[in-house]
Amino acid sequence: MVRVLVGTRKGLFVLVSGDERREWTIEGPHLVGWETFHATLDPRDGAIYAATNSPVYGATVHRSTDLGTTWTRAEEIGLPESSELKLEKTWHVEPGREDEPGRLWLGGAPGVLFRSDDSGKTWDVVDSVLNHETRDRWNPGAGGMCCHSIQLDPNTPGRMYIGISAAGVFRSEDGGESWTPANQGTAADFMPDPYPAVGQCVHKLLLHPARPDRLWQQNHCGVYRSDDRGESWERLDGNGLPSGFGFPLALDPRDPDSAFVVPEYGAENRVTPDGRLGIYRTEDGGASWNLTTNGLPEPAWAAVMREGFSFDRLDPFGVYLGTQSGSVFASADGGESWSEAASQLPTILSVEAAVWP
Amino acid sequence: MAVILLPGMLATEAGGERRFELDAATVEEALRSLPIANLILDERGELRRLVNVYVDGVDVRDREGLETTLKGDEEVRLVGAIAGG
Repeated sequence: MVRVLVGTRKGLFVLVSGDERREWTIEGPHLVGWETFHATLDPRDGAIYAATNSPVYGATVHRSTDLGTTWTRAEEIGLPESSELKLEKTWHVEPGREDEPGRLWLGGAPGVLFRSDDSGKTWDVVDSVLNHETRDRWNPGAGGMCCHSIQLDPNTPGRMYIGISAAGVFRSEDGGESWTPANQGTAADFMPDPYPAVGQCVHKLLLHPARPDRLWQQNHCGVYRSDDRGESWERLDGNGLPSGFGFPLALDPRDPDSAFVVPEYGAENRVTPDGRLGIYRTEDGGASWNLTTNGLPEPAWAAVMREGFSFDRLDPFGVYLGTQSGSVFASADGGESWSEAASQLPTILSVEAAVWP
Repeated sequence: MAVILLPGMLATEAGGERRFELDAATVEEALRSLPIANLILDERGELRRLVNVYVDGVDVRDREGLETTLKGDEEVRLVGAIAGG
């Protein structure tokens, strides 16, 4: 059974299908009233975690162990008074490794990371991010200073990455005890020094699960690939993309050379170019990009948020895209063709695919 | 005992309970005893900006805030400000 968790401004919807991924039923809304910035299904035990926010009641995490029927809320998540900061938003929940039962990571604003070792009941702020020596050079983007990307190396215990807008990418080799900026070669055109050590506006960061030294990054200023754990980055959007600006990113789980992006005109006009919802795919590591529109709407001036793109691990793999206009498009053939799996949902903030009985 | 009334979203988070009866000397003590305390008070213990608390119809911000005292026969109504799209 494939479940696509669709976080919206008005709660969480779950799209459910058999493995053929042709017919979808929609469950929900769950978490009514909560802006669901991201939701994920923990592959270790099937629990769903949601990074939930309310303009009135604050930022938290909800957990369901019955696929969304009932929910429990985390105990207070906050920042210490000594930081002179308050938690603004929760952005992304990332389950820990298979051999770390109960461990999860949570990214939030303002540029903060939390760790839970009790399946999301309590969350401890990661001091090494909160007190990072470069923090005074970080700045918030339009969505706040959000820690939106958390990637764990599946082969090397202790190695992990975070992406914060606009602070950049950071790598840890010691399970989050310390962090090294990993932004060499990524541009920050809005800064006096366009190639600073930190301050880049990373929009989404993904590690390739089959080749964990390879990272892909959609940035405010370009699309990038790193083959050396973020030590250096190669810019790729001059190779056939209509724009280097965009937010979401998806991968082919078996082919490290393959990636998908959804460009937008640019920072000042955040809709898809040429009046169509176009997905651009590379199959050669970003040396070239090809437009896919098969089954996607045209004309369309859509926009896809940074968490609005996902893929499953079936063969052929499925790819899923959610728009701010409330449509979910699904592909069951690795992105070759698309169909609308849901429409008229509230503004979609996140899409996350999972295969669970 | 004071009666505490919750709006819908908080009631959902409180297990479906809209009405609580409890003994408390102050508004803060009353709020802290609720299962949704961390949704109305932030990590500094301050009342969230868009949460209003009315004691017998009077906004506690016009009285002594969270330190407003309760005798025990008041109605304490929580209201989330209407905000956002």
